[in-house]
Amino acid sequence: MSRPDGCALVTGGTRGIGLAIAERLRADGLTVATLARSGGDVRADVADAGAVAAAFAEVRERFGPVLVLVNNAGVTRDGLAIRMPLDDWRTVLDTNLTGAFTCTKQGLEDMLKARWGRIVNVSSVVAERANPGQANYVAAKAGLLGYTRTVAKEMGKRGITCNAVTPGVIETEMTAGVADDLKAAVPAGRLGRPEEVAHAVAFLCGEQAAYVNGATLAVDGGLGA
Amino acid sequence: MSTTDQTDVLQTIRDELAAIKVPGAQEATPETTWADLDVDSLDLVELVKALEDRYEVQIADGELKKIESVGDAIALVESLRS
Repeated sequence: MSRPDGCALVTGGTRGIGLAIAERLRADGLTVATLARSGGDVRADVADAGAVAAAFAEVRERFGPVLVLVNNAGVTRDGLAIRMPLDDWRTVLDTNLTGAFTCTKQGLEDMLKARWGRIVNVSSVVAERANPGQANYVAAKAGLLGYTRTVAKEMGKRGITCNAVTPGVIETEMTAGVADDLKAAVPAGRLGRPEEVAHAVAFLCGEQAAYVNGATLAVDGGLGA
Repeated sequence: MSTTDQTDVLQTIRDELAAIKVPGAQEATPETTWADLDVDSLDLVELVKALEDRYEVQIADGELKKIESVGDAIALVESLRS
């Protein structure tokens, strides 16, 4: 079954990896809407379930049902666990994990009706390892992988897939401070580009990836291998 | 709710289950259980959504867990509409 009419929604789609994903999906011929706290086609903080519901209603009105969802919105609040304020823990979990849950629930409403859907969760190479100073981020991104696999099993028989990508160190504003230290550890010998993550996401969103479900696709230059 | 309404709910249930490709959906009677039809939790969620939309009722998750047959679903819609 080919993709029914609808749109692709990319959260955090106004900069970094999210922007590259939005541009790539648009280039692939999809109608793309971006959701962000500021500057997106629709505005919402994904940690705010009410705002997410309103934003999805607006997207449906302006762009059509959401049949492709890329949960990319993420924040960092780094610090050693022993000194991490509870608020920093919660902010990262609320945005990076609960935000994906909230958006997925909304998107599934449309996908279930269409009997077709693609969800891609942007996790991180750190999800399957450890990264001192990022207990909150690692917990959220690891949680996202378990969530991905579960939604994949729950929705598989309705033509809906849910997969994850785990980007390594990608050149974005978010990694500007840490990139140099990590570069030496990457087998590829360089940092990744946002477009390289977008390429993997576009593959998972495609019709031909219908049999790829619950998978975690690493885009990390071998860092997590 | 009248008998006519109950028949209407029954047919809605049959149609919705048929739409999600449940074998034997159109032969379902109030005595038919979800187990008989091999209806799983996702099928049930979709069925409940359809009933909520058509009859303008809200079915709580707690109620959803209690219904085990077509007749249970008809009775639940009936109680919520009265």
